[in-house]
Amino acid sequence: MASREIISYDKGVAIKLLKWVSPVFLGFYLIWALLPLFIMFMASFKDLLDAFSVPDAGDWAGVAMFFDFSPTFTHYVALFTENNFGEYLLNSLFASIGSAIIAVTLGSMCAYSLSRSEFRGKKDLLFWIISTRMAPIVAVIVPLYAIFRSADLVGTLPGLILAYTTFNLPFAIWMLKGFFDGIPYAIEEAAQVDGKNRFQAFMMILPLAAPGIGAFVILCILFAWNDFLFSTIIGSGGAKTLPAATKELVQPQNIDWGKIMAAGVITTAPMIPLGLLVRRYLVAGLTMGAVKD
Amino acid sequence: MVAVSFNNVWKDYGGGAIAVKELNMDVKDGEFVSLLGPSGCGKSTSLRMLAGLEHISSGEIVFGDKIVNTLPPKDRDIAMVFENYALYPHKTIFDNIANPLKQAKIPTDEIKRRVIDVAKLLEIEQLLERRPQELSGGQKQRTAIGRAIVRQPQVFLFDEPIAHLDAKLRARMRSELKHLQHKLGVTTIYVTHDQLEALTMADRIAVMNDGVLQQFDTPQEVYQNPANSWVATFVGEPGMSLMEMEMTRMDGDLTLAFGNKTIKLDLKNKARLTAAGKTKLLVGIRPDKASVSQLEIPGAFECQIYSRQLLGADVLVEVEFGTSRVRAKADTSFVGAVGAVCNLTFRSEDMYFFDAEDGKAIPH
Repeated sequence: MASREIISYDKGVAIKLLKWVSPVFLGFYLIWALLPLFIMFMASFKDLLDAFSVPDAGDWAGVAMFFDFSPTFTHYVALFTENNFGEYLLNSLFASIGSAIIAVTLGSMCAYSLSRSEFRGKKDLLFWIISTRMAPIVAVIVPLYAIFRSADLVGTLPGLILAYTTFNLPFAIWMLKGFFDGIPYAIEEAAQVDGKNRFQAFMMILPLAAPGIGAFVILCILFAWNDFLFSTIIGSGGAKTLPAATKELVQPQNIDWGKIMAAGVITTAPMIPLGLLVRRYLVAGLTMGAVKD
Repeated sequence: MVAVSFNNVWKDYGGGAIAVKELNMDVKDGEFVSLLGPSGCGKSTSLRMLAGLEHISSGEIVFGDKIVNTLPPKDRDIAMVFENYALYPHKTIFDNIANPLKQAKIPTDEIKRRVIDVAKLLEIEQLLERRPQELSGGQKQRTAIGRAIVRQPQVFLFDEPIAHLDAKLRARMRSELKHLQHKLGVTTIYVTHDQLEALTMADRIAVMNDGVLQQFDTPQEVYQNPANSWVATFVGEPGMSLMEMEMTRMDGDLTLAFGNKTIKLDLKNKARLTAAGKTKLLVGIRPDKASVSQLEIPGAFECQIYSRQLLGADVLVEVEFGTSRVRAKADTSFVGAVGAVCNLTFRSEDMYFFDAEDGKAIPH
């Protein structure tokens, strides 16, 4: 293993300046990214009056006002008792995990075949698969709605799962193909010589693609979990998920800020550990097989 | 244990890429045969066709009396060691070696006993709980061999198994592999591009070039009586030198001529070349049979030194000889420097003769 020292000979003014500028920039970026989440989290425990008590501009001592409130769980309780959020939470879970499982099962088999076999038009096929992701969802949602309605899938959980799978599968195939490409073919050949058939040999190398599969499952869940468009249009009625249900808390006569903030926390919280997990998987996955060792 | 035959086997990848052309070869039961050739000569393809990892385009492959053309690898009862070892990275060494046994549904306690036996034989029993990435090249290679021999297969297939080891370990593994094969008595096909491996280990060598089997014979025969000029230059290290010469009649006597110099032939070779009746010849000489000297020698060829390399015990001197170069081994006391003139001599008994047109050896 070679040393990991980063060689830099340039000691110019620009480099020195960058050394100072970059931490400052990162600091501002951090505040910009985390502050809304923080405010959402705090506001979900405040009643309406506390939530809107904001200090005047320039009044830095008034920041204390932000933390001066008696915490309440009424919004959370109300969401589950009055607004049926338990059901929406389950819908979100089923839709995202269901589509992830289907996409990863079909995707890994398809990616494996595309990685291992050579046939005429393979490149065209690969392009065709990814091209289905090139159009924005909004562009296809209307024809998709018509198809789903004539198949009686609108407002059903299977319909929503199918919709998510449509969009996750091409992504799965492309991502997993890269992982399978990185696994030496000889390992499967060794497995076949050891007495396995073709499919068993594929199962043998599947653990080697685990970082890719893990990362993809999580990305797939994130996509479905955070989706708003499919949920409001395809899932409307019987298969409402958390983002769509949150939107309905905005009524013409009353915007229920407390509940919206609480719903935001419920929607965000489970995805944070997943986000941390995907980072680990992606790093492991992206570097695996990049260098022959 | 079983005899293995290739009968008119072709491998055509399409688009004019023919990897193996009309291969005919019979490997005896229990024999150690080496497939030798440069990269891209079709030797690995031949082995993979034996293993069932590639389809054959035409012909048949026979194990014993059974045609195995359409049998998948798992039904051929073979064991293979791959060039890059192809261990299962996510399994321990124990599980790697045990995999073929598990596949054969052998009871757990017997698996354990046999894996440990094999590990002891290969001196890797202390590594059984580790994973492949924690092992050195030599240990990985032993594991790969262990996985092959743990089951008693009909045929062993080795695809350059020790090509990536360092020179010292390679020398040791050569004798160990040979010993192991002799002990187990399993028919073995061993692919290598290293002629030293083939010469030292094999009962018979199949030399391949450009998809065509050039010669299939014992190492001794391949070295001493190469079938053609290509085999002659490929086998042996340092390689044989070839010179273009012509047969001429001089005073009613048959002699070899190079430029304005002639070489007197011994009686045996004279009779052989007279019978063949060719005029244009390729004459080969092995470096240890050619000698260079800076002393005046009657009848010697005067040549310029092109390079000199110290081999340890002696010096390999390469001299320019017409359009070709001739290598000769000399004593370390030889002082000739690059560019200097020296005298090259060799005896006609040590010469190899090939037809200059098709490269085929002149028959004895």
